[in-house]
Amino acid sequence: MDRSWMKFAAAAACLLLFGAHLAEAADSVKIGIIWPLTGNAAAAGQASKAAAEVAADIVNNAHPELGDLPLAKTAGLPNLGGAKLELVFADHQGNPSLAQQLATRLITQDRVNVLMGAYQSSCSFTATAVAERYGIPFMVGESAALNITGRGFKWVFRGTPIASDYARTYMRFFADMKKQGKKIDSIAIVNENTDYGTSVADAIAAEAKNANIPVAIRIPYSASSTDVSAQVLQLKEKRPDVVIFISYTADSILYMKTLKNLDYKPPMIIGDDTGFSDPSFIPAVADIAQGVMNRSAWAIGKPGSVTYKINEMYKAKTGRDLDDTSARNMQSFFALADAINRAGSTDPEKIRIALTQTDLKPEQLMMGYQGVKFDSTGQNILASTYLIQLHGKTYDLVWPERAATAQLQWPMAGWAK
Amino acid sequence: MLLVQVLVGGLLLGAIYALFSSGLTLIWGMMNFINFAHGEFVMLGMYAALLVVVWLGGGPAVFGVVVALFLFFMGVAVYASLIRHVLRGPMLAQILSTFGLALLLRYTAFWIFSANFVSLPETWLSGSIDVGGIWLPIPQLIAGLLAITLTIVLHLLLTRTTVGSRLLAVAEDRNAAMLMGIRPDRMQALAWGLSASAAGIAGALMATAYPWSPSVGETFGLIAFVVVALGGFGSVPGAMYAGLIIGLIQSVSAFWLGPIYKDIVVYALFAVLLWLRPQGLMGRA
Amino acid sequence: MALLLYPLVFTNPFFLDIGVTFLLAAISASAWNIVGGYAGQISVGHSMFFGLGAYAPLLFYQWLGWPPMAGIPIGIAASVGLAIIIGMPTFRLTGHYFSMATIAVAELIRIFTGTWDFVGAAIGLQGPATARGWWDLTFRGETPYYYIFLGVLAVLLFITHTIERRRFGYYLRAIKARERAARSLGVPVLQIKMKALMLSATFTSLAGSLYAIKTGFIDPESGFGILVSVQMVIIAALGGAGTLFGPLLGALILIPLQSATNTWFGGGGSGLTYILYGGIIVLIARFEPGGLFELWHRVVAKYRSRHHAA
Repeated sequence: MDRSWMKFAAAAACLLLFGAHLAEAADSVKIGIIWPLTGNAAAAGQASKAAAEVAADIVNNAHPELGDLPLAKTAGLPNLGGAKLELVFADHQGNPSLAQQLATRLITQDRVNVLMGAYQSSCSFTATAVAERYGIPFMVGESAALNITGRGFKWVFRGTPIASDYARTYMRFFADMKKQGKKIDSIAIVNENTDYGTSVADAIAAEAKNANIPVAIRIPYSASSTDVSAQVLQLKEKRPDVVIFISYTADSILYMKTLKNLDYKPPMIIGDDTGFSDPSFIPAVADIAQGVMNRSAWAIGKPGSVTYKINEMYKAKTGRDLDDTSARNMQSFFALADAINRAGSTDPEKIRIALTQTDLKPEQLMMGYQGVKFDSTGQNILASTYLIQLHGKTYDLVWPERAATAQLQWPMAGWAK
Repeated sequence: MLLVQVLVGGLLLGAIYALFSSGLTLIWGMMNFINFAHGEFVMLGMYAALLVVVWLGGGPAVFGVVVALFLFFMGVAVYASLIRHVLRGPMLAQILSTFGLALLLRYTAFWIFSANFVSLPETWLSGSIDVGGIWLPIPQLIAGLLAITLTIVLHLLLTRTTVGSRLLAVAEDRNAAMLMGIRPDRMQALAWGLSASAAGIAGALMATAYPWSPSVGETFGLIAFVVVALGGFGSVPGAMYAGLIIGLIQSVSAFWLGPIYKDIVVYALFAVLLWLRPQGLMGRA
Repeated sequence: MALLLYPLVFTNPFFLDIGVTFLLAAISASAWNIVGGYAGQISVGHSMFFGLGAYAPLLFYQWLGWPPMAGIPIGIAASVGLAIIIGMPTFRLTGHYFSMATIAVAELIRIFTGTWDFVGAAIGLQGPATARGWWDLTFRGETPYYYIFLGVLAVLLFITHTIERRRFGYYLRAIKARERAARSLGVPVLQIKMKALMLSATFTSLAGSLYAIKTGFIDPESGFGILVSVQMVIIAALGGAGTLFGPLLGALILIPLQSATNTWFGGGGSGLTYILYGGIIVLIARFEPGGLFELWHRVVAKYRSRHHAA
């Protein structure tokens, strides 16, 4: 009796599995994209998905108004006879084991030509290992952990700046400020404690050591804290000259409010993107967080500029402005498409070689990088970032000075009238 | 000075812990039953408050009442449809029932509200008052005071009213209570309603002061366990004292050891309690 | 039987991966089954053993450069130790204490691991990217994993089956049914519960080690997260907790189902999986705590009695 139950269940299971087998399509260039479309990071995953779709539209259709952006003027990939890009999305839900399985599925079932992903570093680790095993190029758009490109893999490339790049940018900024006579005797690092916050905090601490700037206190905390008064009180006690926050949205907002409630205002606050860049940050705390600094490699730019037009396209699709993370993904996407085009084929090895030969100039980019060029580990060594500051209801570019559109305010005004 | 600030913060938070834990301990005392979904009732209270404010535009007083009633109804419904049946069943069924319910509530909330943290829009309740160097954020202050008041009210309800004594009678001796004409079933349903209601109001109070997401249910549930373990299974006054103590411990360890450790300390305390004195401060084993 | 031939039929790596996932789930759930199903002590934090078993091999690789396999016995030792620490105080009290303790300790370990740099903190640990030799167990294809896991499952089920028929099994069932009565009849209740937990912890730890070796990555969430515990419980309970093949049946249904819903809803889904899990657990608790096996037996019995009456 038990045995026949089992056989029946096994048969049902097989049917389910076959049902899961997707139908094939051909003739286009398939890009498999593994992002968290549900779960904790769903908002970021969905925003990046929209960005990827806009990018695909730019490549697949003629957009002469976008200037030197690679593949914008033409429809499809010229060197492949106008072949279109086809995006296949998969949702890893933030689960690294699932990311591994999905990467396998995309490669073996959906037969994608290249892969992109995966937001959370844990998922990027496992998914890129699969790509390496199967010899399929994998473009990491935004994961921060250093080791993703440090494992001696040939097939993994990363277009985005990483934690150490940000840390060095901050130190260069501090050096500049010191030259202008500002007091920076110590800093504090407040980071949420998952892989994102920890890798960036580690990098900042290391660079601060190199730059001889003491870290007065380092406060890791859980992003899901409902109360951060203890952290703020610890900061109040140590009196650092700059506090660097590496946090997600809710905690960033919570910190600003708690700072006001407990009446503590450091001379300067730098928010490391993410939470501070989220669309809900400014409406929630703009009036008490004036002068807060942030980093961004993405700036919308003046009306009429290429970046402005791209933002309009994104806004038409989602109703929001393009955020830094999704923009970085988009840039990596363009670099990938450009490489496929230069390879002139869907052969993985040819694409890989084309990627290693990538050399995009700043005029061809939508981001403020100094270019796109991958070193032997697959990391884009020309990636860099701007520093922006909250003035009124928008962030203005304040550093480096050669690119600045507004005056840097130091110390920050906070909630002062 | 800073230490006093830390202690005050801890007490205010602890008051809210006391409120929602008193419901959990009531259920245990009555039915020897642990509600794994208790934290989710708190979470529901928070979202209910949000919905009232966003849809009906009501102020704190309005949503307080709505949340209390809504959660009361939920508690009774859960009892009637689920708990009543598994009480007579195997342990597996009892534990799985509320565990599964917790998952169901939590992930439905994730699905409906997404994992993003939300908070109530600013009301006249925002800002802080400066009392001799100590900053008291107004929402937290009011929430804490109300929470303690309600916990005491619950205690008085149980010990000084007829309904309360009937509840306690069932807790004490089910059969004897039946002989006295009390319907245990009704009383147990009432207890579930009160428990859920207390949890919900605690949630609504917290919502005025802190941001939350569907994942907070898990944390609050565990904190409730610890509070009840410390205060004694079945004792509402015990839950009150224990709640305040746990709030203090959390606050102090966050300040001294670092915020990461505040939950670790509390859970470690729980483990130690189980080892040394499972019946808690004021409970019966 | 059919399981042995599976990889030869489904050579596609994706389906093989599902097969491997299925086996892993069956192993974990069957391990849980020993203490949760047979002994009736419901652990809702079993991920603590899984996580210990998963971290040990990768720690050995990370810090000593040894093949991850070397860490397996350490993981098991740690899990058994943890089992003793939790079991000793709580098994003397009613079942609820044990359940609460399991969930609290699992959470405690998860948070703590996230703060401790030695074990990779929140970033986690990785295994060998490419194999240095067969002992690293880092295979390109999935087939070797499949057979290794199948072997472990077979051993576990064999042990469980043996227990079922020996005195230990009788004691377990007695404790599950009426603990007080069993004690008054001279059953060494505390000892038996501890043994069951230790055995369960051992195999759960092994499952964790296998997961870490196969995936090549572990972090606090995938090792100690509550969803890991949930999956073990639901698979065992769905199929039939306390039966030999219950967990296997549960895994057979849930794992392909998970994969299928991800494929169908994948790009635009809304995380319905866990809502479904919660609902299934509640339904099982309310209507059929014995799981599908129990349901089947009842349906068959009714059919038979009707048949005879007619």
